[in-house]
Amino acid sequence: MQVLVVDDSQIMRKIITGGLKKLGVNDILDASNGQEAVDLMSQKNDVGLVLMDWNMPTMTGIDAVRKLRSLGIKVPVVMVTTEAEKEKVIEAIKAGANDYLIKPFNPKDIKTKLEKFLHIQTG
Amino acid sequence: MKAENINPFIESVMDVFESMLECEATMGELSADAEESTTPDIIGVIGLSGTAQGIVALRLPVRTALAIIGKMVGTEFRSIDSSIIDGVGELVNIIAGSAKARFKGHSISLSLPTVVRGSIYKLNNLSNTVWLTVPFTSDLGSFFISVCFKSVTADEKEGIHASVSR
Repeated sequence: MQVLVVDDSQIMRKIITGGLKKLGVNDILDASNGQEAVDLMSQKNDVGLVLMDWNMPTMTGIDAVRKLRSLGIKVPVVMVTTEAEKEKVIEAIKAGANDYLIKPFNPKDIKTKLEKFLHIQTG
Repeated sequence: MKAENINPFIESVMDVFESMLECEATMGELSADAEESTTPDIIGVIGLSGTAQGIVALRLPVRTALAIIGKMVGTEFRSIDSSIIDGVGELVNIIAGSAKARFKGHSISLSLPTVVRGSIYKLNNLSNTVWLTVPFTSDLGSFFISVCFKSVTADEKEGIHASVSR
């Protein structure tokens, strides 16, 4: 099962990817904006979880979630963002996001989301 | 600016270090200056707008920047490259983003972060504000967080941009 990491920051993609690999997840795709994520998800059917940044150029994470849901793609999406206000969380859930991971996060937080959505025990 | 307005940023720095860097950041003594005067080598700047306006500046010696970003990514960096620049921008974005969620009663938006290199620059503050600066020490090196901040009325609500001049 693949995990798709979506963030316009190359360094953030590296940080999250590094965290996933430490937890034993090596089948990782990445995208640098929402549009790339939608394009990838439209072609791939073995992605089990999307970790999605909010603020990105071209297409934001929240717009990407709306687009994915409008295309009938139901893969779990966890918003990974500094947008921690309650209104933002509600907006994300309404758009179709399944969960929220607020930056700054630690490896245990990623582990929890993997276990929740991929139903795997991580290292 | 009330000195307590810097507290969310101090808490954010400590939280980022504890969560993402598994390292303790220890704060030094707060200072207030009309002009930001100390000049480390790399600086991440982000603007705040909305019901409060301000600038947040994370100022790092090169050695500290290399150590912090290296720890975040799990790679050893020997010199400043695009990863370090990207990383410092992301770091100040996370610190400011985490801080804005801690401000009660304010609706604040963040600008895109800017990263400046070099030691000869002047970081201009907003009018009617002063820089509040807190030095930190950590196992990854020393650094500073500087903030200028003011609440605004509805009429004054407009975006601001950090201003750096050389």
